[in-house]
Amino acid sequence: MKKAGIGLLILAVIAVFGFMGTPVRAEAEMTFGISIPAATHGWTGGVNYWAERTVERLRFKYPDYNFILATAEGPEEQINDIEDLYAIHNIDALIILPFESDPLTNPVRYLKEQGVFITVVDRGLAEEGIEDIYVAGDNPGLGRVSAEYMIDRLDGTGDIVVLRGIPTLIDDQRFDAFMELVDETDINVLDWEYAHWNRDDGYEVMQDYLTRFDHIDAVWAQDDDIALGVIEAIREVGREDEMFVVGGAGMVEIIERVMAGDELTPVTVSYPPDMIAAGIEITVLHFDSPSPILGEFIIASELITPENAEDFYFPDSPF
Amino acid sequence: MADKLLETKNIAKEFGPVRVLDEINFDLYPGEVHAVIGENGAGKSTLMKIISGYHQPTEGQLFLDGQEIELGDIIEGEKNGIVMIYQELNLAEDLTVEENIFLGQEKKKSLLLDENKMKDETINILRELNSKISPGDRIKNLSISNQQMVEIAKAVRKEARIIIMDEPTSSLTRDEVKVLFDLIERLKQEQVGIIFISHKLDEVKEVADRVTVLRDGKQVKTEQSNNLSEAEMANLMVGRELKDMYPDKADGIKDNIVLEVKNFTVPGYVESASFQLKEREILGFAGLVGAGRTELLEAVVGLREKASGEVYQKGELIKIENYLDAVNHNIAYLSEDRKGKTLLTDKKTIFNLTLLALKKFTSPFIDHEKELKAYKEAEAKFEIQAPRTDMLVSKLSGGNQQKLGVAKLMEIEPEIIIFDEPTRGIDVGTKQQMYTFIKELTVERGKSCIVISSELQEIIGLCHRVVVMCDGKITGVVEEEDMNEETIMHYATGLRGVV
Amino acid sequence: MKIAKAFGLEDLKLDYSTFKAIGPLVALVFLFILATIINPAFLSAGNLRNVLARTAFIGIIAVGSTFVIVAGGIDLSVGSMAAFISGVMIIAMNSISGYLGFGIQTVLVGMAVSVGVGFLAGSFNGLFVTKGKIEPFIVTLGTMGIFRSLVTYLADGGTLSLDFGIRATYRPVYYQLILGIPVPVIVFALIAIISTIVLKKTSFGRYCLAIGSNYEVAKYSAINVSRIRTMTFIIQGLCVAIATILYVPRLGAASSSTGLMWELEAIAAVIIGGTALKGGYGRIWGTIVGAIILTLIGNILNLTDLVSPYLNGTVQGLIIIGAVMFQRGGNK
Repeated sequence: MKKAGIGLLILAVIAVFGFMGTPVRAEAEMTFGISIPAATHGWTGGVNYWAERTVERLRFKYPDYNFILATAEGPEEQINDIEDLYAIHNIDALIILPFESDPLTNPVRYLKEQGVFITVVDRGLAEEGIEDIYVAGDNPGLGRVSAEYMIDRLDGTGDIVVLRGIPTLIDDQRFDAFMELVDETDINVLDWEYAHWNRDDGYEVMQDYLTRFDHIDAVWAQDDDIALGVIEAIREVGREDEMFVVGGAGMVEIIERVMAGDELTPVTVSYPPDMIAAGIEITVLHFDSPSPILGEFIIASELITPENAEDFYFPDSPF
Repeated sequence: MADKLLETKNIAKEFGPVRVLDEINFDLYPGEVHAVIGENGAGKSTLMKIISGYHQPTEGQLFLDGQEIELGDIIEGEKNGIVMIYQELNLAEDLTVEENIFLGQEKKKSLLLDENKMKDETINILRELNSKISPGDRIKNLSISNQQMVEIAKAVRKEARIIIMDEPTSSLTRDEVKVLFDLIERLKQEQVGIIFISHKLDEVKEVADRVTVLRDGKQVKTEQSNNLSEAEMANLMVGRELKDMYPDKADGIKDNIVLEVKNFTVPGYVESASFQLKEREILGFAGLVGAGRTELLEAVVGLREKASGEVYQKGELIKIENYLDAVNHNIAYLSEDRKGKTLLTDKKTIFNLTLLALKKFTSPFIDHEKELKAYKEAEAKFEIQAPRTDMLVSKLSGGNQQKLGVAKLMEIEPEIIIFDEPTRGIDVGTKQQMYTFIKELTVERGKSCIVISSELQEIIGLCHRVVVMCDGKITGVVEEEDMNEETIMHYATGLRGVV
Repeated sequence: MKIAKAFGLEDLKLDYSTFKAIGPLVALVFLFILATIINPAFLSAGNLRNVLARTAFIGIIAVGSTFVIVAGGIDLSVGSMAAFISGVMIIAMNSISGYLGFGIQTVLVGMAVSVGVGFLAGSFNGLFVTKGKIEPFIVTLGTMGIFRSLVTYLADGGTLSLDFGIRATYRPVYYQLILGIPVPVIVFALIAIISTIVLKKTSFGRYCLAIGSNYEVAKYSAINVSRIRTMTFIIQGLCVAIATILYVPRLGAASSSTGLMWELEAIAAVIIGGTALKGGYGRIWGTIVGAIILTLIGNILNLTDLVSPYLNGTVQGLIIIGAVMFQRGGNK
């Protein structure tokens, strides 16, 4: 009896929270579905933060519009999410940041065929022309900007190590673009490893590189989370003066270091998680403004230096 | 007489340097029941495993229908119609009767199982065996005897010509034994040869046509069972004169009550049971399987949940909520399930010995020297035959396991000891040791004992009084002078007493 | 010889079964030799310190897992629990620093919070398993998700960072060397010794083995099975808390990716060490060796470019399977 009681209580709690998450509003003029990856690491955490913040603001601004936010742990779950968004909530527009391009292409196309307005953010779908609006992050750009800075700073020669993210298309695009430029110079990539966009892995891989290589001029960490682990490993053995680290994405802690003129992290490269905010806002604007907004918007990856860091600084962001 | 179905010629088997079987010439005719008896470790199991194909002989030959054969494994044995039914039944507990009967040899219709055909065949076999089990019953819901029936049905389905039964009656009630013997009679008429292994000499006498006695791996005698008395069989087994199995009953029971159980109800098993145990008494608990004896006494010692009931020790109400409470009141219980509840078979003997009384050996760390000393003492006292002190329990014979189980119990120096089926599946010699030990506990050491047993002879031979249960209720208490099988059976079947 | 005795190797005789019994050690020595051949820098004091300090987290957690597994349970929640405890600890220290400042007292409060949360989390798992009568696999699968999502919630999906003032005070707990040995390694060694004694020399350890070997026999041996099993989960919780206390000063942050897959690494360490997954048999020294082997694999792969990083997982998998197969002497 007692056990059944606890069980009911848990169910009740789930039910309450469940309903809180999906406010049912009568006579909503439009329903927007937003599908994004769950906050499994720093950058997606930022995506979640910006998505929630934007939805909150827009709900206030457009009381007639209905916004439903769904987060998924993987591509399969994301497919389920968008099917539910259409079948249950009958959305008019979908704003999606796809986990992976290939598996989500067909499900999104299906929604499009049912007349749903489609906005794709960050990663493109495997086929062109499905989306109405494309707000793209610039992954090759991130690799290129990082490489340009490094080549410039090292005068085209020196020894570097590279820490990559998780083996995915995004990671490949960044890495390939980086290597394309670096290969043309005398810069020698000593080795690379995956660090899974994760601080602990960044720390451990860097520790081992420091054991293995007596001299390193620079580290391309590709991501600010990894960079923070790398910095800790370098500090541990006191080799801060020997090298510098370039991360990526624009995490608060790193921006602060750049602003402070830290020698170890002179710059970082932006890949802002707030591009989801842009995607949502532009979509709403499309329906709200007299002249429909369509097409492709590229959020360029920019080099963040002490001079322009202020523009990328959002101290409240969890990322 | 027909030609021999099976014959072994000078079979010998060695495990490493140890010769466990030597020059065995065993044979079996169609339609014959040939019993194999012997103490534990005499080599019965090894011989049966050779005949069924599980082991291969080191020397000697095996003949089937006069043709020499070599069996590589059990599967080959079964292909030749030799099926062994193990003492520990080999059934998949969660599957149904029908699924078990066809396990590994399912009938198929193209790719799918042909369930109808299997069901029909199962029904036919069960009808043939005169059994009321239905094909859809789950094994775990069946009684042990019905599970055995399923094993036999399996053998029948495989069209076995030789069925080896290892201790088939050890967990059966008398009625069930009778059913089994009827079945054996029918199998005999079908010209099936049966090898029957048992410790129960009366049953051997009743069912077997011939008897082979093994001792220390050697064939002592093969004889028509008509020509041997039970006493002769027993003497051949142990190789010496066995005096009366049971020690003389001791006097000296005191009238004071050491344990009184009042109004015990165990939901689903026992209804309002009350009984008393006197100082230095051996109190028997008789009844058919399922009468609720084990459940009652397990509830008394806190191993089972009770709905109501009180326990008084020497007149004082004591609170027993779990087994530890009982142990703290010096009450110990030896389960009927040696390998499932008493001993950790994958642990060493010494680990098992001290487990119940571990606190005694801990201060604050376990004192291994003390444990070793306790083991040496127990080994001598209970004549546990284990070549090494760090042997795994699974490597011990059943009798030695049981002795270890009792020794484990005695480590807490209990005042009241409850033995549940203390001699099930152990050989005659160990049985006698067990009886002597129980008597010694009461006479020399002033303890009081309860013995649950399904063997009426044992109850009558050993106990001062016997509580008889039927269908969850105590139907009667039989005093020593009135004790005979008939009276007890009347109470046990509910013909007499309060029902 | 004394060390051998402390780890329960005293009654080893040198035959084939001994060889198998010390299998994990042999595998470890093999990896050491392999690593030295691949890159002599492996044997540098700095690298060995790195490897052992890294092992400390998984190692301490795996010591706790040894108790749980020996008693027939399993705990899948340890990685998430570590992340959760880290998060709560950082929040606690950040907020208390307003009153207590950045001194040692704030860090001590943080440590107390960590131990407290670890105790509660372990009790939660243990009580649902024993009183709720739910399989440990399911209970801890549930708490695995709960703890992980709680830390995500606490961090707003991002990263919780320890205030830099406290970080300076707390830093030595990970980075300080005592007699050339990192603090986490010393703590790890102490926990290993204490746990070995508890498992081998106390009635509690004996009861864990008995319960894992056969639950019913334990019950019929007057052992309070529920209490002992609950205690194994609490020990696990406390081990996670101690590991977290050592982990937080390393990078001063916790996020939803903290402690990812640690549960599997901990279980793998226990099994590589020779403890039976079904319970009833286990040894602490094996677990420690298992944990070191796991860290070593990663370390060796980082020290060489012989293997493409794309194949890291393959190498890891083969070594794990090989180590266990070796210890069991093939498929017998």
